[in-house]
Amino acid sequence: MSNDGKVRVRGLSIFRPIIYGNTATLLTTEDRKGGNIPPDHTHKWTVAVRSAASAPDSDIVGGADDLSYFIKRVTFKLHDTYTNATRNIDKPPFEVSETGWGEFEIQIRILFITEAGEKPMVLYHHLKLHPWTVTGEPEIPPPEVALKMGPVHSWQYDEVVFNDPFQNFLNILTAHPPTPLPTVKKRPVPFHLANPGSLEASRGGIPEFTRLMEKEEAARLEDAKKKVAAEQERWRNILIEKEKELEQLRRRVNNS
Amino acid sequence: MAASIADVRSALSIPGHVTPNRLQQVKKQPSQSVKKPEGISRELYSLIGPSAPSLAAQLAKPRLKQKPNLGGGGKVKWEWRNFKNGARSDSLELGHWVKASVDPDSEYPFAKYNVQPTNYIWSPDEYARHLEDPEWTQEETEYLFNLVQEYDMRWFVIFDRYEYPRGEKEAGRAIEDLKERYFSVCRKLIRNRTWADENLKTHLQNLMQYDKDREQMRKRYLTSLDNRTPDQLQEEEALFIEIKRLEQNERKFKREREELLRIIAGIEAGLPDIADEDASVSLSLDPKRRKKGMDFEIPATPILTAPVMKKPQSYKNAAHDAQHCIIRNEPSGTTPATKAAHTPSYMRSYKLPVPKAAIAPRVTQILAELGIQHNRLVMPTKDNCALLESLLETTTALVETRKVVDKADYEIKVLKSQLEVRENEDEGDGTASVGEIDDSDVFETQKNGRGESIGSTRSTRNRKLCRRSMSTSSVDTSVTLPVRAVKRQKRA
Repeated sequence: MSNDGKVRVRGLSIFRPIIYGNTATLLTTEDRKGGNIPPDHTHKWTVAVRSAASAPDSDIVGGADDLSYFIKRVTFKLHDTYTNATRNIDKPPFEVSETGWGEFEIQIRILFITEAGEKPMVLYHHLKLHPWTVTGEPEIPPPEVALKMGPVHSWQYDEVVFNDPFQNFLNILTAHPPTPLPTVKKRPVPFHLANPGSLEASRGGIPEFTRLMEKEEAARLEDAKKKVAAEQERWRNILIEKEKELEQLRRRVNNS
Repeated sequence: MAASIADVRSALSIPGHVTPNRLQQVKKQPSQSVKKPEGISRELYSLIGPSAPSLAAQLAKPRLKQKPNLGGGGKVKWEWRNFKNGARSDSLELGHWVKASVDPDSEYPFAKYNVQPTNYIWSPDEYARHLEDPEWTQEETEYLFNLVQEYDMRWFVIFDRYEYPRGEKEAGRAIEDLKERYFSVCRKLIRNRTWADENLKTHLQNLMQYDKDREQMRKRYLTSLDNRTPDQLQEEEALFIEIKRLEQNERKFKREREELLRIIAGIEAGLPDIADEDASVSLSLDPKRRKKGMDFEIPATPILTAPVMKKPQSYKNAAHDAQHCIIRNEPSGTTPATKAAHTPSYMRSYKLPVPKAAIAPRVTQILAELGIQHNRLVMPTKDNCALLESLLETTTALVETRKVVDKADYEIKVLKSQLEVRENEDEGDGTASVGEIDDSDVFETQKNGRGESIGSTRSTRNRKLCRRSMSTSSVDTSVTLPVRAVKRQKRA
């Protein structure tokens, strides 16, 4: 490695949008025929780390770009009851497919390429098998209903931020610009608990992350801020009233 | 001239030049026969002769352009009508002339110009935190704000009516003092309050700018400008002329020198530089030149952002940055470029702010009511994270305010029960003078319009007796008061 590659570019941060999460479907009788699936397993699922944008006509959420240009390895730590609970994935796609019957927390450890000079990053994802509900309370519908509702998607968007990257790492990153998120909605919205209102919009097919989601969330935040500010104004007026009253009472107490 | 030459010729009896004279005479005769035009007196015409026509045309009555018809034809009907000014709080009715075509039910068109300036009020808590000033007491500040409100920010009127009793040795307030206090209080209130719209906040803050020193200096200048004696005026004039003269000399000298150089040394190129250099040094009133002179100094300051310049040119593009998800921060000159100072890579959502532990449950609850989760976002982009952060700040402020309200509530409760206990004691002793209680009743009614709360129950002896027996429950009645106050607030 040449020496000038080890120079940090100051005052600059560069990020890469990624998504992590899982997709789960109910096992059908045909699925069971082929392999040696334990009889108590009800779902097959895939947990993955992918780029945020979806490739056109793909049947998965996200994954338009190959992330191996900055990710060296992704380690998924499954529930201890699985054989080889720690799965190292060194090649894209960074994902693990399994069958199971229960939801649990998966630890995802992302190791960056050596040029990055960064420590590994650890994320947590709650494996989601059962359909989303408005309340967020886990509710397990009977298999027939669940089957009708189709695969369950649970994905979190996030951005990996690199501060003051090394020059050669920056070069690598800029050589692979991420596919921008689409600005129009063509597919369902990925459901997220922070936005329960999107439940209806998340139905009917493979969801896709879009710019619109960011804008929609910004609007919700702005709206909430306005309401809070109005409330604050109201309470301050109440406070002023109260303090006036208090002042009068004090005067009366002192006078009497 | 011609005539005199002719005279000389005739005197010297030089022949051959008589013909012009005769020609003139021949010409004159037909001109006299031309008829005198109208609008000019005969005597005048005989004086000015045939050159008159152009004049006569001007003397004739001027033909004016036709008056434009603004009314659209026909007469406009006006009516005397009574009207009410919507901006008035009293129901005074005045009359005015209006076109009959105007709808009689329409609102008085000038009512909308009666704009009241926003009245800024503060809680004592806010005053203690932000508005303390050794020069001003809270009472005086309130007095000032009331005056400002009363006289619609007409500062000279406010200054005139300002009669706050102050200590003997303290000097009266100047109009600048009043203005400075008012604007600084407004600025502080605006700065420390939460605003839904940041733009509005900065706009208001800019409106409230006031620089007392500058204002005083401006007035001093104006006064001194006004107080100049005629002698001084003359001197100024003379000096101005002198400057102009000097400048002119300078220019002339420069031009001459330039010419001289061109002639002697044959310097063509490089000469303007010499002239320019001199220009910036020479006495000059031209502001443009002065600015130019300042420009020369700027590059002298060391460039601190040198590392930015080192970066390849290709990065200098916003579109490029957006495409590659690059965010540029101001490189901080203070942090040393050591390994320890480096911020490791992180997930954007992991840097979301956390509310203070003590109030976290209430913040979470308020946000949950608004459908926002304080610890997670669907799309934790940079903008959204910043938005969530400011939302959390606002919510924290709200929770703090409500805490203070609760505290005030509690104190009111305590004071009320104290008062009641004391009154009951007084009544038990039989020494309480009825007049005194009545006075306090009136006081309460006036101030709050809430006479029914405590006062009315006290009016008769019977009730007094009842009251004593339920003194323990009296605390409850006082608790209902704040609720009522809240309701009134809502309606307002």
